[in-house]
Amino acid sequence: MLVFLPVSLEEAFDAFEQCPDAHFLAGGTDFMVEVNFALRRPPAVVCLRRVEELQGWRVEGSEVVLGAGITYTELLAPRLGELLPGLAQASRTVGSPQIRNAGTVGGNLGTASPAGDSLPVLAALDAKIVVASKHGRRSLELADLIVGPKRTTLAPGEVIVEVRVPAALGSQQFLKVGTRNAMVIAVANVALVADWAGRSVRCALGSVGPVVIRAREAEEFISARIDWEGRTPPSDGDLAEFTALVRSAARPIDDHRSTADYRRHSVGVCAERALGRVFSGDNREASERTSWAS
Amino acid sequence: MSELTEDKGAPDGGPALPQRPVMLELDLTINGDQYRLTCEPGDTLLTVLRRLGLFSVRFGSGTGESGAAAVLFDGRLVSADVMLAGQASGHKVTTVESLDVATGELDPIQQAFVDIGALQSGYSAGAMVLAARALIEANPDPSEAEIRDALSGILDRETGYVKVVEAIRRAAAARRGEKVPPVEPVVLEPLTGPGSTERRVPSAEALQAPLAMPHVVLSSDVAITAVVGKPEPKVDALRLAKGRPVFTDDIDLRHMLYAKVLRSPHAHARILAIDDSEARALPGVHAVIHYGNTPRVKYATGGQTWPNPAPWDQVSFDNKVRFVGDRVAAVAAETLGIAEEACRRIKVTYEVLPGVFDEVEAIAPGAPLVHDETDTEGIYDAAHNKSHHIEGQTVTDEALEAAFASAKHVFQQTFHVQQQQHAPLEPHITIGWLDDDDRLVLRSSTQVPYHVRRMVAPLLGLPVRRIRVIKPRIGGGFGGKQEMLIEDIVGYLVLATRRPIRLELTRSEEFACARCRHAMTLTLRTGVDDDGHLVAQDMHVVSNTGAYGTHGSTVNTVGGMHGMSIYNCPAKRFRCDVVYTNRPVSGAFRGYGAPQNFFAVESQMDDIARALGMDPYELRRKNWVQVGDPLDIVPRLGERGDVVEIPQEDLPRIMSCGLQECGAQGTRAIGWERRNDPSWRQPADRPTIRRGIGMGSAIQGSGIPFVDMGACSIKINDDGSFNMLVGATDVGGGSDTVLAQIVAEVLGVELKDIIVTSSDTDITPFDVGAYASSTTYVSGGAAKKAAEAARARIVTRAARLLDLDDPGSVELHDRRAWGPDGRSISLGDLALNSLHTEDQEQIMGTASHYGTASAPPFAVQLAEVEVDVETGQVTVKKLVTAIDCGVPINPITASGQVEGAMLQSLGYALTEDLVLDASGKLVNDRFGPYWIFRADDAPVCEAILVQTMEPSGPFGAKAVGEVPMDGIAPAVRNAVLNATGVKVNQLPLLPERVWRALNNVPTSG
Repeated sequence: MLVFLPVSLEEAFDAFEQCPDAHFLAGGTDFMVEVNFALRRPPAVVCLRRVEELQGWRVEGSEVVLGAGITYTELLAPRLGELLPGLAQASRTVGSPQIRNAGTVGGNLGTASPAGDSLPVLAALDAKIVVASKHGRRSLELADLIVGPKRTTLAPGEVIVEVRVPAALGSQQFLKVGTRNAMVIAVANVALVADWAGRSVRCALGSVGPVVIRAREAEEFISARIDWEGRTPPSDGDLAEFTALVRSAARPIDDHRSTADYRRHSVGVCAERALGRVFSGDNREASERTSWAS
Repeated sequence: MSELTEDKGAPDGGPALPQRPVMLELDLTINGDQYRLTCEPGDTLLTVLRRLGLFSVRFGSGTGESGAAAVLFDGRLVSADVMLAGQASGHKVTTVESLDVATGELDPIQQAFVDIGALQSGYSAGAMVLAARALIEANPDPSEAEIRDALSGILDRETGYVKVVEAIRRAAAARRGEKVPPVEPVVLEPLTGPGSTERRVPSAEALQAPLAMPHVVLSSDVAITAVVGKPEPKVDALRLAKGRPVFTDDIDLRHMLYAKVLRSPHAHARILAIDDSEARALPGVHAVIHYGNTPRVKYATGGQTWPNPAPWDQVSFDNKVRFVGDRVAAVAAETLGIAEEACRRIKVTYEVLPGVFDEVEAIAPGAPLVHDETDTEGIYDAAHNKSHHIEGQTVTDEALEAAFASAKHVFQQTFHVQQQQHAPLEPHITIGWLDDDDRLVLRSSTQVPYHVRRMVAPLLGLPVRRIRVIKPRIGGGFGGKQEMLIEDIVGYLVLATRRPIRLELTRSEEFACARCRHAMTLTLRTGVDDDGHLVAQDMHVVSNTGAYGTHGSTVNTVGGMHGMSIYNCPAKRFRCDVVYTNRPVSGAFRGYGAPQNFFAVESQMDDIARALGMDPYELRRKNWVQVGDPLDIVPRLGERGDVVEIPQEDLPRIMSCGLQECGAQGTRAIGWERRNDPSWRQPADRPTIRRGIGMGSAIQGSGIPFVDMGACSIKINDDGSFNMLVGATDVGGGSDTVLAQIVAEVLGVELKDIIVTSSDTDITPFDVGAYASSTTYVSGGAAKKAAEAARARIVTRAARLLDLDDPGSVELHDRRAWGPDGRSISLGDLALNSLHTEDQEQIMGTASHYGTASAPPFAVQLAEVEVDVETGQVTVKKLVTAIDCGVPINPITASGQVEGAMLQSLGYALTEDLVLDASGKLVNDRFGPYWIFRADDAPVCEAILVQTMEPSGPFGAKAVGEVPMDGIAPAVRNAVLNATGVKVNQLPLLPERVWRALNNVPTSG
C-alpha cells in the first residue's frame, strides 16, 4: 500500500493519476476500522488531511461554504455553531471528542453511512456538495451524491471539496431516538428546518431507509398549513397528519436494534417534536440525554 | 507532496502478503522528541507508538470506540487505533509518558486520579489523563457536563466514571490555585438500630461532599484502626497513573510470533476434513494446529478448584464446532497479517448441522443435540441438551404444595434475561515462551493463574513443575477471566515453534468467543399471606449455558442459593435445568447467577406489593433476613433431588446484617416518598414523561466455604519494611492494597512499608484466584494470619531487646515495638538486629486461610427513572446503592467497586444483549452496537457503605465486588412499573420493548 500526503488538490489529483486504485482518506476513522478488521487494503491511500483547499469555512452571500475537511469539533465552534445550529446539534451527538476531532463533513459524505448524523441536517438544508477532479468541478444535491448505503456517485478520482449550506436559515432542529444518545447508530433521527422567509418546512429522516429521506409530502402539507405570519403552532390535527405523512415516507427495515414498525413510529415522534419545538422555541438539547448541565 | 514510500513494488489488491514488505518512512514529533520511523503502510498510529515502547497507549477495540488508544494529536484527543500512521507524519503526538519526568512524583492531574481512587485497573489511565489535560488546558473551570463529554470516548467498565469525573474536577481546581479538600470518608449517621437518629437529613457537610467521596455509616462495635478502614491510595497507583508497561502486552520479546485462531463460521457443524497445506506453505508461517495434530484431552475451561466440576466437555481442538466463533485451528506466524492470511488458507470441510439457540427450545423433543460425542462424562442428560440439573428445597414437595394451598395469594410469572458480555477493556491476552530452563512461561491476563497452571498441564502433556504462570496487571476481568480460555493454544504453539507466542483476542472475538452471563428463563411462584409475609417460594430456571457447560453447575447453584436467601420463607424450592445451545458460551460473570435470580425475585416483590396495596419497601422489610436467621436453602442445593435433612443448629446463620440500615439509607438518598406523589410522577410541563422510583435488594456470599483458599507470605527487610507475597489476583479492584492494609494494621506500620508482589506461580503462594467475592474475606484472612505469624516473631524479639518477660505485652504501632512501660524499638532496628547481629533469623510469616463460613454482604439498590411514553425510552436519572460489606478495609476501593457495578448492571438492565442472527452469528460484536454506558450518558451514582462488624471476616470485612451487581436491573424495572404501571419482565429494557409493553403491541413475527 502506498500512502500519499498531498498538500493541495492538484497534488491529490496527481497522486490519483499515478495510482488510479487509490482511496481518498479524510479523517480515516471509518476506513481504518475496515483496515484493522482486514476487510480492506487498497493499494494506495491519498490522505486529504493536509490539503489546503479543503480546510476552513467562509460566508459567501447568504451561504456558508464548508471545506470538506472541516471537523465536527470545528462545526461546534461558537460562530459556525450560530450560523448552522442544526449541524452543530447533530455534531454534538456525534461520537466522542476523538471522533469529533478527527471526523470530517467530507468524510461523512464520502462514507455514505446511513447512520451519519450530519447527513439529515445537510439534506434538510438543501446542501449543495461540490466535488472536483482533475477534469473539473460539479455541484450536486445530497440525494444525487449518496444513492445507497455506503454508495455514492463519485466518479473515480473525484474528491468532495466543499459543502454549501444556507446561513442561519430559519429554525433548525435535530432529534434522535436511540438506546444510547451518542456514538451509537440511532434508531431514528430527524432534521427539520422551518424557513420563515421562504415559508417552507423541510424534514429529513435518517436511519429509516437506505439513504436519508426527505419527507416531501409531509413538508408540502405542513408548509401550506402553517400560519407563517403569526407563527402560531400547528393544530393537533395538522400535526397528526404531518406525523402520519412522515411515517409513510420512512422506509425502515428490521434489524437487531429495532423493528421497522418501531422505527417508523419513532421517526414520527421525532418529527412531531421537532416541529413543535420550532414553534415553542425550545432549544433544549435535542437528544434527551441525561442532563449533566449544572 | 510527501509520498511515503521507498518501494513502489506492484501494489496488490488483496491483503498484505509477507513477501514484499513495502515500508513507509514517517517524521513524527512524539512527546517533544523528533523521530524518523519506518513502518508498514497499513500500520495504525497505535502500532507505531507501542513499537516505540509507549505502552500507555493501549488496544481496546481497533475501532476508535473504546478510547484506550487515545493520544493528543496536535493537542487534540484522537484515537490512535483508527489513525493511519502515515497520516500522522509531520504532526505532534503526546502520550502520558510525557508527564513522567520526576522520579516517584506525579503530575497534578495524575495525582488527583490517585488521591480520589479514579484508577481501578488503570488500563485506560493514559487516555483519561490526556483527555483531562486537553480539557483543562482549554477550559480551566469545566462543568460536570463538560468533564463527562471530554471522557465520553473513553469507555470505563470499572469505575462508573464517578471518581474519574471527580479527579478531573479536583485537578482543575488545584490548577486554578484553589484548595482541594482531603479525601476522607463522609460519615453518615445511622437511621436504624441503637444510636440511630430520627433525623432523615444528613448534615450540611455530608450533603455538600461530592458523591465520589466514600460515604460511610459507622457501626459502634468496630474497633479503631490505624490503616484498615482508611482511604489509602492504591499501592499500584503510581505505576498505573504513569502508564507504565505493567499489562500482559507491555513487553518486547525477541523473535516473538503472532498467533491467530481460525473460528467457526457455523453455529453447529461437524468438521469432516481440514487441509492446512496452503497455510503451512505460506512464508512466515511456523505452525498450524487443529484437531488432526493435537491430542484429544477432555477438560472444562472454568477456572475452578480441583477437581474441576463435570462435564469436561471440551478439547483444545474438536472435530465438531458448537457455536459461531468456536475454535477450528490456530496459526503461529511472523506477523499478525501472515497469521490471518494463513487462517484464510486453511480449507475446512464442514457438515453443517441445524442449530438451537433458545434454552426452552433446546430441551424440547427433537432439538439438535449439541453434545452427541461419546467421550464426555458427567453430562446430566445429553439426549435433552441438559448439562446439569440442580435442585434444592427446604421442605418436601407435599409440604411445599400445602404451603401454597394455605397462602392467601399466589403469584406466578416468567421472566427472561439475556446474555451479557463482560467487555473488559483489556481483552484476553496471553504471551508464552520457554525460559532458560525450557520451562513454559505463560504471561496471561487471568483471574486464576494457579488454576491455569494446573489445568493447562495435562493438555500440553507437561507436569505442573514445567509451567510458570505470571499474572501482571489486569485490565478488568469481572469473571470473564476466570477461565483457561486461550493459554492452551499459546502453550501448544510455544512447544511447536520454541519461539515466544502472543495471542490476543480481537474485540469481536472477545464478544463472540469469550464468555458471558447465562441467559435464563425463570418461572417464580410465590405464596403470600394477607400481611405480606412470604409463605412459599418455588423457582424453576432454564439456564442457557451455550455451547459448553463451563461454570454451569456452580453459577446456577449459586444463583439459586442467593436468590432464595434474601427473604425468610418457611417453604422454598429451587429447580434448574442448565441447557446446552449453540449460543456463545456462558460462564462466570460478576454476580454469578444472582443478578438473573434477583431480577425474578425482586421484580415479583414489587408486583406482590402492588397487588396487596403495600409499599414495596415495607413488604421487603417484613421479609428480609436478619442477624441469626438461618440460610436454610444454602446447604441443600446440589445435583440431587432429595430433601436434605439438616438439623437447625447445623444450618449456616447470618452473623451480621445491615439490610434494614441499607434500606433506610437508600430510600433517604433516592427520595423514596416521591414515588407516591402523582404530580412528581407525571410532571405537568413534560406531558410525555413519567417518573418512577424502584428498589431491588440482594445478598451474595464471601467466597465458597471449605473450597476457596488463599495464602500469603511476609518477610521483614533491613529498614523495617516488609515484602508481602500473595497469590491473590488483583484485577483492578484493589486487592493488593486491601491485603497490604490488613498486613500493615497487624504489624503497626504504614501502607507504604508493605511492598506487594502478587500472582506469579513461581514466586507467590497459592490462591484460588479473584472470584466468588473471596479475595478480601478469604485471602484477607490469610494476609492477617501471615502478618500475625510475623508479628509473633517480632514481639518475641522485641521483648528480648526491651528486657520484657512477656512478649504478649508488646504492642506494635507507629513502626515501633512498644513495651507497657513506654519504651520502644523501631522495627528497622529490630530488623537489623535480627538479620545481622544476634541469634539471626529472617522474620517471616506464612499462612493460608480458607473460609468455614461465607459471610453474606447485602445491598439495597434504587433507581430513579424517566420514561418517555411515546418512545419507550427509559432514562435513568439516579442510582443509589446502600451496601453492607462488613467493615470496608478501604472505603475508596470499596465504593469504587460499588460505583462500577452499578453502571455495569445498568447496562444489563437497559442496553446490553448479545444478539444473534438466525444463523447464530453475533451481530453486535463491537462497542458501537453493543452499548456500554459512557461518562456522558451515565446517571448520578451514589454509593453508601453501611458498616457492620462481621465476626468471621478479617477486621470485620465481608465481600463487596459482586452484590452491587444484583439489584439494579429489578430496581430499574420496578421504577418503570412505578412510573407507568407497566410490567416488563424481560431484559434489557430497550425502548422498543418498553414501548410495546406500554401500548400493548405484540412483537410481530
